[in-house]
Amino acid sequence: MKRLLIGLAIVTLAAQARADDQVRPLTDPLTLKACGECHMAFQPAFLPARSWNRIMDELDRHFGENAALAPDKAANIRKTLTDGAADRTGGRVATKYLRQVEPDAVPIRITEARAFVRKHDFPARTWTRPEILTKSNCPACHLGAEKGIYDDD
Amino acid sequence: MISPRTEFALLRLWHAALAGGFAVAYITADEDTYRMHLFAGYWVLTALVLRLGLALIGSGSGPLRLPRPSLSALRDRLAGRPGRNPVFGWMGAALLFALAGGVLSGIVADALPAAEDIHEGLAEAGLWLVIAHGLIIAWIFQGRRIRAFVRDGGGRAAPMILLALAIPLGAAQAGDPAREAIQTGYARQARAADAAFAEFSPARGEALYRSVNRVSADFASCATCHTDDPTRPGRHAKTGRAIDPVAVSVNPKRFTESQKVEERFERDCRTVLGRACTPAEKGDYVAFMASK
Repeated sequence: MKRLLIGLAIVTLAAQARADDQVRPLTDPLTLKACGECHMAFQPAFLPARSWNRIMDELDRHFGENAALAPDKAANIRKTLTDGAADRTGGRVATKYLRQVEPDAVPIRITEARAFVRKHDFPARTWTRPEILTKSNCPACHLGAEKGIYDDD
Repeated sequence: MISPRTEFALLRLWHAALAGGFAVAYITADEDTYRMHLFAGYWVLTALVLRLGLALIGSGSGPLRLPRPSLSALRDRLAGRPGRNPVFGWMGAALLFALAGGVLSGIVADALPAAEDIHEGLAEAGLWLVIAHGLIIAWIFQGRRIRAFVRDGGGRAAPMILLALAIPLGAAQAGDPAREAIQTGYARQARAADAAFAEFSPARGEALYRSVNRVSADFASCATCHTDDPTRPGRHAKTGRAIDPVAVSVNPKRFTESQKVEERFERDCRTVLGRACTPAEKGDYVAFMASK
């Protein structure tokens, strides 16, 4: 019995340690498909709800590209993103990413969050490697990124 | 010892389980229903393994037996010697191997997207083998009735049945009806805009595809992301995300969903050209991709 309890405790601790660099995965098929067509569908917990609203408002000029969506689709995706946003869900990663955002700032680049920059201090030549190409290409290094797993660093 | 009656019942049940699993897997082979597709695939795999088990418990001459395909038996048969038709063994083996290939390549494709095309090809081949198997069995066991039906009352219905069989075949070969419908729509709009419009031109579509523009530094041309050869997979110039080939010959699903097509034209024309495309340009582009 004692051994069982110790075993359980170890498994729980291990699971906790694993959960450290995990973020709640994005599961809504519509959002996964629409966002994931051009880039990885980032988990909403990396930005506050106001940021997602701004991104959805500016879809016709989405980081230098027109990414306009049909209004009904856009409304559903907006709901998924704001519902899962950093300031609506909480969680470890969300709290970390939210902590250093100024209360009146509306950032739209996850890669400019201080929590991101602190962990990704690599020389420019690393970022421009052909298989990486851009900072937003999470799965190039984090193989489980699309599932919300970023602990392979 | 199982009675032949039970063996037949087991055989029928097994056919139902396999056919059901295969049908579900075939229908759900879309992204949206992927979990169901996976489940159905493993169902088919289980059924295939079960078939081998059934052959073990069946009697040596009963319907559950899986005869070994043999060349010498085939030669004997061709020489006119009597005996059980050896083609059964070959048919069974072909079916089992084709379906197993389809399922196993699917498991590989689940982990390795590059294997998707092989999986699709094998699954498609499996479907035709299954249909052929059904027709052959129907002919052998109900042949006289079918022949009588075709000769007598059904004589008039036969051309209709043949036609019904030919339509899906023809559709697979010729253009996709959904794509044709999209093109018909663009042609109507093009004519409304310009009465002199005659027909879409793949050459004009290619010129549009390769044209270099100055609106966006990152996306100068369609070919920037889709590469010079649209039969090859592309890559998003900024994010590096893989893009499936645009050419219809290698990616038959292209231009078959009108909403999707409109969304893409609306976005990409504005991004690359800085303006919306005309219906004629859209039609030319689709015609070019359908010709590649």
